[in-house]
Amino acid sequence: MPTAARTYWLTTSCRIRRKDQSLRIERPEGAPVHIPVTDVRDIVACEAVDLNTSVISLLNQHRINVHFLSHYGDYAGSLLTADTSVSGQTVIAQVGLAADQTASLEIARAIVASTAVNVRRVVDRRLLNRPMAVLEASIADATTREQLMGAEGTFRRSAWAVLDTRLPDWLRLDGRSRRPPRNAGNAFISYVNGIIYARMLSAIRLTPLHTGVAFLHSTMERQRHSLVLDLAEVFKPLFAERLLLRLAGRGQLKPAHFETDVNQAMLSETGRKLIVQTVRDELAVTIQHRSLGRNVAYDELLYLEALQLTRRCLEGTPYKPFRIWW
Amino acid sequence: MIGPEDVGGVHVKYLYHCRRQLWLYARGMRPEQLSATVQLGEAVHETSYTRSSPVDLGAAKLDHLDGAAWVHEVKSSSRPSRADEAQAMHYCYRLRAVGVDAQGGILHYPKTRRTKRLPYTTQAAEQAEADIAEVLAVVSAPDSPPLLARSACRGCSYADYCWNE
Repeated sequence: MPTAARTYWLTTSCRIRRKDQSLRIERPEGAPVHIPVTDVRDIVACEAVDLNTSVISLLNQHRINVHFLSHYGDYAGSLLTADTSVSGQTVIAQVGLAADQTASLEIARAIVASTAVNVRRVVDRRLLNRPMAVLEASIADATTREQLMGAEGTFRRSAWAVLDTRLPDWLRLDGRSRRPPRNAGNAFISYVNGIIYARMLSAIRLTPLHTGVAFLHSTMERQRHSLVLDLAEVFKPLFAERLLLRLAGRGQLKPAHFETDVNQAMLSETGRKLIVQTVRDELAVTIQHRSLGRNVAYDELLYLEALQLTRRCLEGTPYKPFRIWW
Repeated sequence: MIGPEDVGGVHVKYLYHCRRQLWLYARGMRPEQLSATVQLGEAVHETSYTRSSPVDLGAAKLDHLDGAAWVHEVKSSSRPSRADEAQAMHYCYRLRAVGVDAQGGILHYPKTRRTKRLPYTTQAAEQAEADIAEVLAVVSAPDSPPLLARSACRGCSYADYCWNE
């Protein structure tokens, strides 16, 4: 995100205390760490964390969100500060757009199409030629969100099958499974997707948009931040599939990084650390932005995406979801 | 939408600086908090001129009002602009409205160590009133004002929003 402050990732279980105007992080082993609160943009807690009221009020003053990932690697929830960026005017425009059948379908179409382009770019261009053509046809035909989601599902299934051909036996997905993930590959993808969801939530909270009003996923369903699901979609291939292929190709992922049971898998302590480290480094990678003409970190791309949707809501400029252009 | 009494110094400043910025600001776009430049400016503001006492007029908030009823404004830029002057005159207008006999504005440019003195005249009062009407007109327009030339946007905290394609 565009600021001098940064994201802190907690990969061991710890207690966060308040010491005057700074945070004191106490770990079971090792000396406590003091962090000036102005240096913190947000916190991602990948392990169990203890907090108390005085910490929360300090975090709230400085608008710092904390995202929690559970021990099993799924997104557990967030401690969100007061919604100070949301603006009535923008939310009204956003809701108007979401309620307008043609406008919201147009946005949903764009999201599905761009996601597919990104998946194809990351996984395999040639083998996904045909599924892509089929998807494009069904996107054009779709008249409801459900049809779009169905078309995307079909494309995703072929993409995962192709992905499997490039992975070692033990990492293969054999079809996507969630809650719990059935095997190591699925556990990896779920974990990274959880992190991206949390980052996207942080990004949208910086814009005046409402996190619940969505265009592709159904609005406010099951108390989820549906808009976050929408926008995170296009970034998942950039991180999840891409890093899985990279780590597998380099032989960096080992069976020891997972705790596999019958029909269930999760990351082990070392696996979690490796993946958090990898994703964190990947989020910090910068590219030259085409229209801004400056270097932009992958993390900032999430924020720019949310800004673009804000622009669509406020000014009606066409929304072109993120596509990997390099 | 905002009414005449909600128009503050920032609105007037943005009116002269960039109408588009004003239009967006009124709709809740507030990316300033994310900009490192703005954060630096705030830190400088908090630690310098500690003897001056800010005056809160509701919508408008000015840096300092001295004993002779002159409005003082500290500017972090090095180049004086029409926006700075208009902002100071707006504060005088607001002060007059609550019964303080404001004499005018003094703009401080610590970077170049210059100050600029602007007495509050009847002409300035008319302009301040016209500015408020102009702000309301820009804000209530259904369509956003056009983008400025790209080089003019350098350093603006809204640039990411406006130029992101």
